[in-house]
Amino acid sequence: MTVDDWLAALAAELRRRRVDPAGPVGEAAAHLRDSGRPPLLAFGPPVAYAAAIVDSLRGATLELRRPPSGEVRLRATKITKRYGRSTVLDGVDLSVRAGEVVALIGANGSGKSTMLRICAGLLSPDSGRVELSGTVGYCPQDGGTADFLTADEHFMLVGAGRGSSRAAARAQGRAAAAALDWPGAERAGEARHLSGGTRQKLNLVLGQLGDPDVLLLDEPYQGFDNGTYLDFWQQVWRLRDAGKAIVVVTHRLSELERADTVLDLTPGGPR
Amino acid sequence: MERRAQWLRGVLDLCVLGALARGESYGYEIAQRLEHGGLGTIAGGTLYPALLRLERLGLLATDWRAGSGGPPRKYYRLSDEGAATLRSAGTDWAAFVGNVNTFLEVP
Repeated sequence: MTVDDWLAALAAELRRRRVDPAGPVGEAAAHLRDSGRPPLLAFGPPVAYAAAIVDSLRGATLELRRPPSGEVRLRATKITKRYGRSTVLDGVDLSVRAGEVVALIGANGSGKSTMLRICAGLLSPDSGRVELSGTVGYCPQDGGTADFLTADEHFMLVGAGRGSSRAAARAQGRAAAAALDWPGAERAGEARHLSGGTRQKLNLVLGQLGDPDVLLLDEPYQGFDNGTYLDFWQQVWRLRDAGKAIVVVTHRLSELERADTVLDLTPGGPR
Repeated sequence: MERRAQWLRGVLDLCVLGALARGESYGYEIAQRLEHGGLGTIAGGTLYPALLRLERLGLLATDWRAGSGGPPRKYYRLSDEGAATLRSAGTDWAAFVGNVNTFLEVP
């Protein structure tokens, strides 16, 4: 690995973690020139060094979280859902504003996916109401792709359903795929030949096609490697900054600091 | 050697403050000061995260300056708070070392 390659890799890793690379990369470049030592000996692998820098900055990145200020795009009121005798959701309230990311958490079986499907209009609650202002994109946990269609065909099919032209849908899908570290989407074969992680990227891209105002994402990163996972959050923040209202279902507690608001569905947990 | 590395991990930030008490400096030169002071080679991967942490805590002030003919460098100097921390931690450290020495003296 040459010095330039190492510095470029470090810059990319820092960007992935939402840290401006200019300072750390400039300093590392000067250090390498002064010391004449190989980068891997002086600093270690770019990924590990980027992680160490982020650790040192922790607590300095509070601007990630901010109070929501946009208009309410999704409001679910007193949602109750029963399956047989078991009550999965019992009077749950959720409201999401434009420019806000809400993390929906809770123990297994606490109704996270059910709540999201109700918000998406795919499932009816036994009582309660959902009000939406704007269009909705929904990314299921899995199974959102068709085995015998290519990525481009998915983009065009889903785009058509949301009123986009074939060319526009293709371009938007490819750009969103590239942002998830999947630059070759246009060359991809049928979905059944894609790896689990790549299928999940396709699934996530489809949820954002047509530029919906509200995005409902159900654990959308399963099978992602760590780099793609960070890219995913970058994309979520970008969409939030563009005024989208976003709900992310998650079971990773380490994710909570990435969201603006947290709703815990665990029975007996804080609401 | 392994034990020395562990010791250093606990006091590197104080050593950096001490090195900067001898005048402002930039990363590589700070590493040189520490090495010449007998602390061994400090890897960049260890030094710069420590500098960032000290800066974030407000113990160091920084600015970027163009070097003479060289690339721009980030210069570090002690803030008032950093100088105060160095003084109080220095006293604590001396007391700690004294106590450790007492145990290490075989009666």
